[in-house]
Amino acid sequence: MNLNFDPKDLGYLAPYLIMTVSGLLLVLAEAFYKGKDRTALVGLAVAGSVASAIASIILYTQVGPNVSQQIMGEMLMYDRTSYVLSALFALTTAVAALMSPSHQREHQWVIGEYYGTMLMAASGMIMLAHAANLVTVFLGIETMSIGVYVMTAMRRTSRRGNEAAMKYFLIGAFATGFLVYGMALLYGAAGTTSIVAMRGTLASTANPGLVIAGGFLLVVAFGFKVAAVPFHMWAPDAYEGAPTPVTAFMAAAVKAAAIAAMIRVFGVALGGDVVPFGALGWASPLVVIAAITITIGNISAVRQDNIKRMLAYSSISHAGVLLTGICALGLGSITANPAIVYYLIAYNVTTMGAFAVVAYVGSRGRERLLVDDWAGLAGQHPAAALAMTICLLSLGGMPPTGGFFGKFYIFKAAMDVNDGQLLWLVLVGVVNSAISIYYYLRIVTAMYFREANQPFTPTRSGALVFVMAMCPVLILEMGIMPGWWLKLV
Amino acid sequence: MNDIFWNVGYPHYLVLAAILFLIGTVGVLVRRNALIILMSVELMLNAANMTVLIFARMWGDLSGHTFALMVIAVAAAEAAVGLAIVVAVFRGRRNVDVDRLTTLRH
Repeated sequence: MNLNFDPKDLGYLAPYLIMTVSGLLLVLAEAFYKGKDRTALVGLAVAGSVASAIASIILYTQVGPNVSQQIMGEMLMYDRTSYVLSALFALTTAVAALMSPSHQREHQWVIGEYYGTMLMAASGMIMLAHAANLVTVFLGIETMSIGVYVMTAMRRTSRRGNEAAMKYFLIGAFATGFLVYGMALLYGAAGTTSIVAMRGTLASTANPGLVIAGGFLLVVAFGFKVAAVPFHMWAPDAYEGAPTPVTAFMAAAVKAAAIAAMIRVFGVALGGDVVPFGALGWASPLVVIAAITITIGNISAVRQDNIKRMLAYSSISHAGVLLTGICALGLGSITANPAIVYYLIAYNVTTMGAFAVVAYVGSRGRERLLVDDWAGLAGQHPAAALAMTICLLSLGGMPPTGGFFGKFYIFKAAMDVNDGQLLWLVLVGVVNSAISIYYYLRIVTAMYFREANQPFTPTRSGALVFVMAMCPVLILEMGIMPGWWLKLV
Repeated sequence: MNDIFWNVGYPHYLVLAAILFLIGTVGVLVRRNALIILMSVELMLNAANMTVLIFARMWGDLSGHTFALMVIAVAAAEAAVGLAIVVAVFRGRRNVDVDRLTTLRH
């Protein structure tokens, strides 16, 4: 192991450092801020996240297509994937921060610490994008999760908020136990915690039992983190009870960061020609989990009348598609990595857009989360209805949206696996895409073809309108010209 | 036969850690008080820590020790946040029974 510290390495970690320092500054600023309106801190939060994203993009251009370099004593690494993902996490954080002030004011939970916590959680995500060691994977996941537990619990007086936070926290902590124990067993088998070194040593280990048990425990732990069936029961409750901007952050960025960690752990450390395969490899349980996650997520979403719960189940089924991509990656499909990254970008944009509309439609005292509340929205607020429609079509995977090409590339990557092993999984995914159209279109028909109950004033906020305008445009751009996005990594 | 009792080696500690982990897991699954669940989670983390340390000693590798230290630090942070959430829930309901958290169930 090379333990020499090279100050140049800090430059490669600029996105991470900017995010962390901005988060710390926000915590300090909150303490010394004299003004009445705590939501003013959002300016610094957005500035920090955007600066972090710009740093990622600049560093991305400095890194060649096939460069992968380990830094900081082999604790972290950088390549194109990590910079694309860190830019994605930073921008998602900026968007979530933009959505927050109006929601805080309308629903009376103005707390300044919220923004600092959000940026700290985001710094954990960026660490996950750069992780090259089980220790940093663990630290990144925990930094992110603990931040999001706090954000979920921010609305302290709300019984639903507290309950959501409690469920999210207990399940998350339980998952952490599995995560650490799984990592411990892998460490025992490999004798190293470095992800890259592990790839070689695990294949020739003297204790395959430890690898199998460790792999299974990590499947369980990450199953909890990305809300895969049967480890998903917390997700609908946590998503419903959390404030809408936090739900958006959880559904988009947290899930994407967990998948980023899976790309490293399952794609690199547990990848290769030996470990994933066979009845005892981790790929066997993961393909089954992916299949039931897509199916159960969709079937449960059909029954939901609450839009946030429906989006929660929809995000569960999207996690299933992403796990399909992770299986393909572990089983050696070379197209899997760009496909997963494309899917994550498309999914994040779409989710942020959909939740922005949910936050917009709710206003003081009423969140308007039931499908019935949305009846006739197109007549009163045609732009919001159109934005929601585009987001829902993208979630359902209809062309010409980013969601369609995301699914298409993931399934194509799964088809590229040797001998068509994942063919059945692709069929399950395609059939489920068709089912999912039903419940997404249910909201669209409610908005366009039903009579309005009564006129209402939505949340007035320029930032929210900006997010609602940007996301659908980006979704359509990704759907019409997907090539550029796919060539990113 | 007595060897297994008198020659205590790495496998004994590994089995002990595995048993502790199982006790923790079962505790999370069967106990209904949030505080006891939190304690069971700590037990799981400590079992995992113990496993890491045994392997670190077996391999003569220091990185395992740092891993264990990180886990201890993070577990403390997690417990702090968890207890705060438990207090917030207790203020609203006067109990922290997870079976009675049913506001969000449909």
